[in-house]
Amino acid sequence: MTEQSTDPIVIVGSGHAGVAVAAGLRTGGWDGRIVLIDSQHGMPYERPPLSKELLTPGAGEKTALLRKEDYYQARGIERITGHPVESIDPETREVVLADGSRLPYHRLVLATGSRARELPVPGADLDGVLALRTYQDGLAIQRALVPGAKVVVIGAGFIGMEVAAAAVKNGCSVTVLEFQDRVMKRVTSAPVSAFFEGLHRARGVHLEFGAAVTELQGDGRVERVLTSDGRHFEADVVVAGIGVLPNQELAEAAGVACQDGVLVDEFCRTNVPGIYAAGDVTRFTSPFSGASQRLESIQNANAQAEALVSDILGSQPRTPEVPWFWTVQHGVRLQTAGVMHPDDEVIVRGEPATGKFSVVYLREGRLASVDTVGGLTDFRPAKKLIPAGLLLDPSLVEDPAVKLEDAVTGEDPRSAILETAAALV
Amino acid sequence: MSTNTLTVVDREGQQHAVAWEPEQSLMEALRDNDLPVLASCGGTASCATCHVFLDGDIVTSLGERSEDEAELLVDAEGFSEDCSRLSCQVTFEDRLNGMTVTLAPEE
Repeated sequence: MTEQSTDPIVIVGSGHAGVAVAAGLRTGGWDGRIVLIDSQHGMPYERPPLSKELLTPGAGEKTALLRKEDYYQARGIERITGHPVESIDPETREVVLADGSRLPYHRLVLATGSRARELPVPGADLDGVLALRTYQDGLAIQRALVPGAKVVVIGAGFIGMEVAAAAVKNGCSVTVLEFQDRVMKRVTSAPVSAFFEGLHRARGVHLEFGAAVTELQGDGRVERVLTSDGRHFEADVVVAGIGVLPNQELAEAAGVACQDGVLVDEFCRTNVPGIYAAGDVTRFTSPFSGASQRLESIQNANAQAEALVSDILGSQPRTPEVPWFWTVQHGVRLQTAGVMHPDDEVIVRGEPATGKFSVVYLREGRLASVDTVGGLTDFRPAKKLIPAGLLLDPSLVEDPAVKLEDAVTGEDPRSAILETAAALV
Repeated sequence: MSTNTLTVVDREGQQHAVAWEPEQSLMEALRDNDLPVLASCGGTASCATCHVFLDGDIVTSLGERSEDEAELLVDAEGFSEDCSRLSCQVTFEDRLNGMTVTLAPEE
């Protein structure tokens, strides 16, 4: 156990990362005060159901909580809700709350998450233009997805496509406008995009690519969406899913180094002593690829929470888990282990027409990432093979009858070097 | 419905009496009682971090695993066809009061 303090560990943000830090500190043996600040009212909740369960017909208004209601009080985790933090004073180690009161901290954890990027076009502030980030956003979209409504989704990423799938299921007429030439281009390869495009079209979603939105029009409320090629699309509701921005302003104003995200090391320490950051708001160097990245995922929020808790408590950190992500559209699951790069070698395993296949991404012959569609057979082995940096034989990978682990051709020379080095110590 | 009491055996073999409240999945009961299940996916059968072993008869009575659950479990460490379940897929039932839940090894 490291030193205790009468000042609390203050956590700003009550999403997956913030709650995981609070819970992890307590179960890890931290006896001091923990204060969890939430700019929203209500109980901290799970994010994935907002674009999945909450938008399905007849879902009701309930959503899953991150911990049961009496958890926080029972663990002595103090909560401040509906109360944004105004500023941080790293000199005096205090946060300043909206009512002007100052709260001293022993350690400060910024888990402020990210926000939906706003459409940078005229008319983006019209009624009926929505984005999906919070529970309240989810409810607003749920109410808008009435049968017969003309829904225009801007952006064909995970969120946009999940909303589109839910909207057709609710009996809406749905058009997706995407600036790129295929769906989910940022996160997956052409074969996976093609599969999901076919799936969406078969269920009645209209997809328009190369569609740059220039303006939203309407009399107080949105009525149509204009694109740069002179077309217009009638709309009762517009849902924009064009990415997120890290909520880093609080950190920046306090002198914490940021660069499209709060910069953190492997223990989630920022450049300012006593201040940590975790979750969507952070940017860090991947221990697997060496790339600088932000990851919008629960897996990252939990992993970073664990890393920083271990740093505060002086406990042994867990081996980092390879990043992973999932989406479900029209009942079909896409689950990804690792982060692909557009230059990776793309190998399709199995026949997409069957609705169940994988795509393997090799980087310099090593397994970098796997997408599994309609099944999870390759997901778990991939999660182990990727961090091991193993070389795979492309001709074996191509054969879905060969288990992914049996396509391994040899050890990564890097791990052999590390083992030799370890033996010398 | 009243709350169930579970006996949970952790990875060190220690036993814990754990309250399982109606409307919680088994995973939520474990997580909310500070047992070390990571529950990386929040209970959507997308990871296998809430893998547990239950009595074989109970597993049989719970019915078939979903395809996703089956595929995640089959390669999980310590997988047992008879006893393995993802605890996020086990819903509260009065008749499960008093059952023993053993946490599977961590990956």
